[in-house]
Amino acid sequence: MIPAAFEYVKASSVAQAIALLNQHGEDAKVIAGGHSLLPAMKLRLSQPAVLIDIAAVAELKGIKINGGTLTIGAGETYHAIATSSTVKNACPVIAACTGQIGDIQVRNAGTIGGALAHADPAADLTAVFLAIGGTVTVQNAGGTRTIAADDMFVSMLMTSLESGELITAVNVPVMSKGQGASYAKLKHPASRYAIVGVAASVTVANGVVSACRVAVTGAGPQAVRQPSVEKALMGTAGDAAAIKAACASAGADMEYLGDIHASEDYRRAMVKVYAARALTDAIAAARA
Amino acid sequence: MTAKKEYKSLGKRHKIIDGPEKLSGSAQYTGDMRLPGMLYGRPVLSPYAHAKITCIDRTAAMAVPGVVAVLTAADLPTKDRPVNSRGSAVLAHDVVLFRGHPVVVVVATSEAAAKDGADAVLIDYEPLPVVADMESATLPSAPVIWPNGLPKDGMDLTAAHAAVDKGADEGHREPSNLHEETKFNRGDVDAAIKNADIVITRRYTTPIVHQGYLEPHAVVADPHMMRGELTVYTSTQGQFGVRDEIARLLSMPKSKVRVVPMVVGGAFGAKYGILDPLVAAVAWAVRRPVKMVLTRSEDFLSTTPTPATIIDLTIAAKKDGTLLALDAVATLDNGVFPFTIGGILGILLGGYYKCDNVRILCREVLTHKPQGGAYRAPGAPSATFAIESSIDELAIQLGRDPLELRMQIGVDEGDRMGNGDKWPNIGLKACLMAVQNHEMWKTRTTEANTGWGLAVGGWPCGMSPAASVCRVDSDGAVRIHVGSVDISGVNSSLVLVAAEILDISPDRIQLIQGDTLTGQRAGPSGGSQTTYSVSGAVAAAATAVRTKLLETAADHFEASPADLELVNGVVSVKGFPDKAMEIGAIAELAENKSGGNGPIVGEGTSAVSENAPGFVAHLAKVHVDPDTGHVTPLRYLAVQDVGFALNPMLVEGQIHGGVAQGLGWALHEAMIYDEYGQLLTASFMDYDLPGFEVMPDIDVVLVENKSPFGPFGARGIGEPPITAGAAAVANAVRNAVGARVTDLPLRAERVWRALHDSK
Ligand SMILES: Cc1cc2nc3c(=O)[nH]c(=O)nc-3n(C[C@H](O)[C@H](O)[C@H](O)COP(=O)(O)OP(=O)(O)OC[C@H]3O[C@@H](n4cnc5c(N)ncnc54)[C@H](O)[C@@H]3O)c2cc1C
Repeated sequence: MIPAAFEYVKASSVAQAIALLNQHGEDAKVIAGGHSLLPAMKLRLSQPAVLIDIAAVAELKGIKINGGTLTIGAGETYHAIATSSTVKNACPVIAACTGQIGDIQVRNAGTIGGALAHADPAADLTAVFLAIGGTVTVQNAGGTRTIAADDMFVSMLMTSLESGELITAVNVPVMSKGQGASYAKLKHPASRYAIVGVAASVTVANGVVSACRVAVTGAGPQAVRQPSVEKALMGTAGDAAAIKAACASAGADMEYLGDIHASEDYRRAMVKVYAARALTDAIAAARA
Repeated sequence: MTAKKEYKSLGKRHKIIDGPEKLSGSAQYTGDMRLPGMLYGRPVLSPYAHAKITCIDRTAAMAVPGVVAVLTAADLPTKDRPVNSRGSAVLAHDVVLFRGHPVVVVVATSEAAAKDGADAVLIDYEPLPVVADMESATLPSAPVIWPNGLPKDGMDLTAAHAAVDKGADEGHREPSNLHEETKFNRGDVDAAIKNADIVITRRYTTPIVHQGYLEPHAVVADPHMMRGELTVYTSTQGQFGVRDEIARLLSMPKSKVRVVPMVVGGAFGAKYGILDPLVAAVAWAVRRPVKMVLTRSEDFLSTTPTPATIIDLTIAAKKDGTLLALDAVATLDNGVFPFTIGGILGILLGGYYKCDNVRILCREVLTHKPQGGAYRAPGAPSATFAIESSIDELAIQLGRDPLELRMQIGVDEGDRMGNGDKWPNIGLKACLMAVQNHEMWKTRTTEANTGWGLAVGGWPCGMSPAASVCRVDSDGAVRIHVGSVDISGVNSSLVLVAAEILDISPDRIQLIQGDTLTGQRAGPSGGSQTTYSVSGAVAAAATAVRTKLLETAADHFEASPADLELVNGVVSVKGFPDKAMEIGAIAELAENKSGGNGPIVGEGTSAVSENAPGFVAHLAKVHVDPDTGHVTPLRYLAVQDVGFALNPMLVEGQIHGGVAQGLGWALHEAMIYDEYGQLLTASFMDYDLPGFEVMPDIDVVLVENKSPFGPFGARGIGEPPITAGAAAVANAVRNAVGARVTDLPLRAERVWRALHDSK
């Protein structure tokens, strides 16, 4: 398990990291927590000639609230996010989700920016990000722009990031009263990634569901929203019967992957089960 | 547990002597070794399960800076040996026989250069038909893997694990993928089934399971070309066997091969010399020390996991529970070389219950997969899963309490095993009774979707002759020399044996584990036999020393040895407290005195003639998620007849480990191959080895039904605790949700399907 030889540069600023990326082009890769990149390199599936380490870049750190927006630096680790009282108060689902990813070693190193940039089909945060909405801030030599959650994930392991672009921050709405979100996950028995993960975010106003976003990860090649479930739940009381009815269409029109750990049939059935679990918890949180 | 007043050290809880080293990371494993001039070897494994090697191009690999040699089968001193076992398949000759079969070894000055070199080797293959599935392997349409028969010359490692008659194959066989059949017959099974009130027929399957040790295979071989000698440092559980295999395969005298067993990071039956002959041959070829440590994936691909089984089992009973007949066909996937554990599987399958009419056929099948290997009580988890699931079903259909039915029909001393041999003294029912008296059983309640499952299991245990030397030195220390390998904490028990006999504190005893050159003979550390066979030798050596201490002191005090006593490391004349001497002082006296006994050294041997089977009864409580099929073990009771627990803490540790691995069989572990013989679970990202977070609390009860043969009444205790877990969990799932799952492991999707099918 030894990667091919590479050069290693420790970046001290975003600007430097971007300059290095431009200089080395396709040969270079940034490394944050390394928990997706290094395993691929050790298997020699990925053989970058230059590694640009952004783990120590101070600009990529920080967890702040600005008006109704929670901004998490792309370089914050899962552990830092899961244990942040700011995140726990403003958007508890992110704290809960990051708190169960992988194991303690993974959480100590893995970053929110790395997770969203890598867009593993079985990653957890992709679904949570889609369900709560928001944007990522990205930067290249020309400046910064934002990408909305719904525009982020293109296909398996593909995002709408352009080459030479870095994610610098993740921005999500602060949860207010009447809002609740939850993430429910069927863990891969060996790797602990999601075989099926469903994130749900709801607003309950005057006893009825007035906003709802549901997203599924793990079951297919990329994380996707579930518009038919969302539509079916809107305007209902969000009770068990309404959830059950809405979840009948969960996972109906999406692509699936099947493997030795879970067949396509099983994944289809589990998307419904976990959609109902995520929605039940999200609605309970909204009502609390 | 009963208090053991009769002993000072034995029977009490003692920490293991090398615990601090292992915990702190300072223990030196084979992978930590660095010899002057040492090179690093990296194997290139076959990507195909069956293919002809048409070309090996080493040019690019040799050009990698740091690469010293790129070796094929023809370059090694093993090149003329027949290939008929995993150990002898050092490198593939012309044809690869399983995915993971080593083809080339690249030797370089660093691990990285060796890996770069291995990636640069170009090998062309011409794929050949693959026999991947054990059922279709025996159809007439399947290509025969060894059309000219398996090359002769080799050894049988299964013998190490259980000292029982495994049954014999009958006469000459035509070359076939069904390479051996074992049959056990008694009574008239067909007639008995006809007369039965109830007949239960089920097909059980168990997958290939890997031993899952923490430390992958690791070997350092150090040739001394001038002397024509080879020293091999290795993670092994059987140094003498490894030495013999290396000597045989390299055509060297055994006396020129020295095998040094290193600290072992888990073995469980897999470390009897898979990689050792290869590294030895490579080091000999390059004339320099070579280290090879497998990566986890290489280890999964190229070692010897335990065989998959299919067990077709029919049991027939009377309304009153009497078992009339047991009829079984067990098929075992040996992989590409024979690894025959059908005999022991049949002995246990037909060995837990009284039954007069038994017909068992065990079919050993070859496929293009890695050869099977031993894994803690090889064959027993599969056999136990089958019989204990069926007996549970019988209890349900008869409306009987599962424990009480087992008390009625379970075997006692003198009843028959599957092969017809009689069981010696055993504690199956003592274990059941301990379950019955335990609060977990007495107060068991079931909530929605929870259930309880009971299963028994047993293992005959091996026995090998062993020797030991004990000495007392003038520095006051007692030193014990053994040639056994400590894979389970046995050294910490051997120390207690000597402490007891010499009446001194165990921490004054140093245990010296020798190698094949310096160590006393001992059997391999397998078959639950090490404490059982070596502690007798240590006891005899310590007793010899005790005698010499008393004689020397008697001479000094001008008293009769009979008037002396040895208490707390001091020999004194009874009733004369000032006539006393520390054992170190006696040793010093003996070292300097002309005449008399000479220095205080004693030797001891043991050759136990009867084995002491260990039985268990396990009780599991599980929760089943009805929406997903996910099974969560909630509580676990492991009762085991251990004969006599020399060190209860170590015995409990063995039981915890065995239960954890049993739960791995039950719920998690499977090596899955596709129809091309490709392994789909070649890393821990795909092979589900259970971790601590999924383990329930385990209550352990030690039943001490002393063995009439073992030292101090001890029995083999290492293997029995893995036997019953899968069955106990499957029975608990049946109790919780009504679904009988007959395929291991009981993964969520499988249980979910069973729930759907039963709706
Ligand atoms: C044993 C194990 C278990 C795991 N279990 C889970 C799990 O249960 N759930 C789960 O979701 N994940 C799991 N993971 C993956 C883990 O979450 C990764 O850490 C994560 O996917 C990637 O984040 P990283 O910071 O480690 O990124 P890296 O591995 O450093 O990088 C990944 C990719 O993203 C790019 N990248 C990194 N940061 C940026 C940035 N700021 N801007 C642009 N591109 C960037 C890199 O160039 C690289 O291509 C597991 C990983 C391991 C090793």
